[in-house]
Amino acid sequence: MERKSFLKSLMIGAVSTPVLIEACKKSSAETTQTGSSSETVTNTGNSNTSCTVAPSETEGPFPTKAPASYVRNDIRDGRTGHTMTAKITIGNINNNCAGLAGAIVDIWHCDAEGSYSEYGGSGMQSINYQSVHFLRGRQVADANGLVTFTSIFPGWYSGRATHIHVHIYSASGTSLKVTQIAFPEGTGSAVANVNGYAKGMTGYTYNANDNIFSDGTTLEMATVTGSTTAGFVLSIKLNVAA
Amino acid sequence: MPKGTIILCYRKVIDANSIKAWEKMVLEDTFLEFKMQAQFYNQEKKYNTFSEILRNDPKAEKLHFLVSAAVTGYLQQLNETIPDVLNNLGKHFLKFENFRFEIINSDIRDITKHQVAINFFSKPLTWHDTIDNYLLVSDKSQTEKDILTSLFQLQPYLSIYSLSYE
Repeated sequence: MERKSFLKSLMIGAVSTPVLIEACKKSSAETTQTGSSSETVTNTGNSNTSCTVAPSETEGPFPTKAPASYVRNDIRDGRTGHTMTAKITIGNINNNCAGLAGAIVDIWHCDAEGSYSEYGGSGMQSINYQSVHFLRGRQVADANGLVTFTSIFPGWYSGRATHIHVHIYSASGTSLKVTQIAFPEGTGSAVANVNGYAKGMTGYTYNANDNIFSDGTTLEMATVTGSTTAGFVLSIKLNVAA
Repeated sequence: MPKGTIILCYRKVIDANSIKAWEKMVLEDTFLEFKMQAQFYNQEKKYNTFSEILRNDPKAEKLHFLVSAAVTGYLQQLNETIPDVLNNLGKHFLKFENFRFEIINSDIRDITKHQVAINFFSKPLTWHDTIDNYLLVSDKSQTEKDILTSLFQLQPYLSIYSLSYE
């Protein structure tokens, strides 16, 4: 009697265990990490002995194609400073400088303190995903070759005059030109009015001493109108060989 | 007694073997962005792979940052939830605000050679205990008497990034 019930209990044990193993096998397959081709990877670790759970949550919204976070008109990301609208027109030298529609235009510049958004090196320093590209942006030129950005008037840093970096690509992504926009100086200019924000202008490098602009700024000089209270408007036409 | 406050890092590698829609979009868009941004460091068009470009010009290290622009739109779609990492109840339990994008390698001629990684850093967690291969943690921000915890297994590509005893 005892032996029978003992054997029965053994059988019950024998039936239930394979189900567990099956569940474990399924789970580890679903949580397998994808391997890489160039680095040696221990793919699933100790999946023989351990049992990992399968994801069991309501399927989230399906992902949609997202434009590069660069592609936005307002590039401020919360950086404070005097509002500045930048109107940049791209012309094609190979077409009598007519507007280059479809050109991709990236701009970037420093904030009021003179800092750029960027992280360097190969360390494991983390950065907030919502503000990682402050004061960087991309726009596609309209039929007239015009792109517009809403930003702040740049600050300055030691060794350089106030400037905005520009990278112009063709519509298909071929790099056409990397250049910088220079700002007018002197009494009554926006640079003088902003007065370097909290930094002031002590130690400021003017265009004539700037290693990028000292050879002349005719082709890179913008027109800047406006005021610290109403905001500034910067305009420039940049020609490329497209 | 809690062992301390930890931040976990999950390194998600995305390459030609990735099959989910989100991963494939990230791979394609970062590849396009890489081809655009790499031109600046390869003006004589002598090189094809990221490792060649980087060896020739160490300033190309900036490409990790520059190409990350293609990824932040996709990060927003995650609603601050770290993907793939599940607790023992089978649910995603980690939140992130910080990340770091890496180009592992790439070849401007061949997307199958394009391999990237997104490092997700969790919000701070209180590490209470370790049971076999599992860590018992809770959101550091909790103040209730009955602390809601998660039990999760140590797994590949998941590590403790930082530890604080305060």
